Amino acid sequence: MTFQTLLDLVLGGVSLGGIYALVAFTLSLSLATTHVLNVAHGTFMVLGAALATLLFRVTPVSWPVAVLALLAGFALLGLFFEAAFVRPFAAKSPQQILVGSILVTFGFALAVEALLGYYWARLVDPQPSFSLTFPRARVTLLGLAFSGTRLTILVVAAAAITAFHLLLRSTPLGRAVRALSQNYVGAVILGVNPRLVSLTIYLTGIAATAAAGALLALAIPLEPYSGLRLTLVAMTIVVIGGVGSLPGALLGGGLLGMAEVLTAYVLGSVWSPVVSLLVFFSVLVVRPEGLWGRRAA
Amino acid sequence: MLEVRDLSVAYGDLRVLWGVGFTVRPGELVALIGPNGAGKSTTLKAIAGLIGVEDGTVTLDGTSLLGEPPYTRIRRGISLVPEGRGLFPAMSVEENLELGGFAVPPPEGLARALERVYALFPVLGQRRRQLAGALSGGEQQMLAIGMGLVSRPRLLVLDEPSLGLAPLVVDHLYDTIARLRREGLTILLVEQQIFLALELADRAYVIETGRIRHEGSGRALLADPHVQAAYLGGASRPG
Repeated sequence: MTFQTLLDLVLGGVSLGGIYALVAFTLSLSLATTHVLNVAHGTFMVLGAALATLLFRVTPVSWPVAVLALLAGFALLGLFFEAAFVRPFAAKSPQQILVGSILVTFGFALAVEALLGYYWARLVDPQPSFSLTFPRARVTLLGLAFSGTRLTILVVAAAAITAFHLLLRSTPLGRAVRALSQNYVGAVILGVNPRLVSLTIYLTGIAATAAAGALLALAIPLEPYSGLRLTLVAMTIVVIGGVGSLPGALLGGGLLGMAEVLTAYVLGSVWSPVVSLLVFFSVLVVRPEGLWGRRAA
Repeated sequence: MLEVRDLSVAYGDLRVLWGVGFTVRPGELVALIGPNGAGKSTTLKAIAGLIGVEDGTVTLDGTSLLGEPPYTRIRRGISLVPEGRGLFPAMSVEENLELGGFAVPPPEGLARALERVYALFPVLGQRRRQLAGALSGGEQQMLAIGMGLVSRPRLLVLDEPSLGLAPLVVDHLYDTIARLRREGLTILLVEQQIFLALELADRAYVIETGRIRHEGSGRALLADPHVQAAYLGGASRPG
C-alpha cells in the first residue's frame, strides 16, 4: 500500500464518516425533541441527491444559482415534512408518536422510492442513478495530494456539523431544543414554544440531510432505492452513539465510515454493509448503552 | 389575583373535575389539599394550559388564561413548579436556572436573579456546575423552586414540593416557602402532606373526587372535625 493510497483511504473514511455523522445527528435530534423516528430519513438524502443531479447535470443553470435553488428546495422539503408528518401528531403521547411516525414515514419512504424510480426512468434516464462530479480531481495542500471530491465532502460536512453545534450550544433556540429534548413539559412551562422548535429542527435537519445526500452523490452514485439502507446506517450510528449526542454521532459516524471504506478496499464494496452490521452488533454486545451513552440507573 | 370558577375537566369519557372553584388573593398563601387522585394535579394542568378545559374559567388579574397557549402563560407572571420537578437532568444547575428566565428575562438581570436564588438556597450555589440529574431529591426540589423564581413571578404555584422527600428536608423546604411568603410572594401550594400545608396556609381548599369539599383558613381546617377524621387520624397533632 502506497502512502497515497493510505491517505485516500483515510480521507475517504473520514469524509464518509462526516456525512454519516451529520445525518445520524439530524435523525436523533428529531427523535429526541419530537419523538418522531423518521424512517424516510435516508429517502431525504436520496431526494437531495436527485434534486442536485437534476439541477447540475440535466438543466443548464450556473452553479451559484443551482446551489441557491437546492438550498431553497431542501428547506421546502423540511417544511413539508414537518407540516405533513410531525404537526398532526404533536398532541399524542410520545409512544403513539414513535410508533405512528415509524409506520407513516416508512410508507412515505416506499412511496417516494417507487415514484422517483418510475418517473426518473420515464422522464430523465432509464437507469436512475444520482451522481455528481466535482470539477477538481486533485487538490494539493502542504505538498500532499488530496481527492478534491472527498475534501469538499469533508469540509462541507464539518461546517454543517459545526453550525449545528453552535446553534445548539450558543443560541436561545438551541437551548430551547436541548431543554425540550430533556423535559418536554418542563420546557413548555418555562415558555419554550414547541411548534417553533419543531419547525426549526425539521427546517434545518431535513435540509442538512438532503444536502448530505447531494454530498454523498459526489462520491457514490445513489439510486431511488438507497434511502432505507441509508436510514439504517443513520439509525445504527444513533444506537452506537446515543440519542441526541453530537460527540456520539461523530464517533459512530467516523467508525462506520472508516469501516466501510477499509472493507471496500480489502474485501470489496459488497462486504461493506456486513461490516457495518458487525460493528453495530459488537457495540451492542460490549456497550449496550452506546459508546457515548451513560448506563441507565 | 387567580380566580378559578366552575372548572370541569374530562379525560375522554372520564370526568375528573366537577365545577372546581377557588381564589388566590395577592400576598396570600393558599393551599389546595386532598388525597391522591382527587384532582389536584389536573387542576394545576388546567391552570398551566397542559390540558383542555371542558367548562369554567381561569382568570389572572381579571383576564382569562384559557385562550393562551401553555408556553406564554409564564409571561403573565404565573410560575409553575411541576410535580416531578421539571428539571433538565443533563444540564448544569446554572443552565437550569438560566432556563428559568428563558421567556421572561428577570428585570434585575439574569446574573442577579441567579444570585438571589443562590442566596435562598446556598447549596445550589455550591453545586452550580454539577448536572441537575446528579443532585439529591431535596436539592432537585430546591432547584425546581429556584427555576420558578428566576422570572420574578407574581404567583408561584408549587405542585407537591414534599413528594418523596425525607421529613427533615421537607421541613427545610417549608421554612423557605414560609420565607418567600413573608417577603410578599403570592403562593398556591398543592399538597398531599395536609398537616404541613394547613399549618402554613392563610386559607385552604380541600378537594376530593374532583370537587371542593371544604374551605377555610388553615387553622380552621386543622380544627375541623371532618378534616381531622379524614386526614389527620381523627385527633389533632399532639403537643
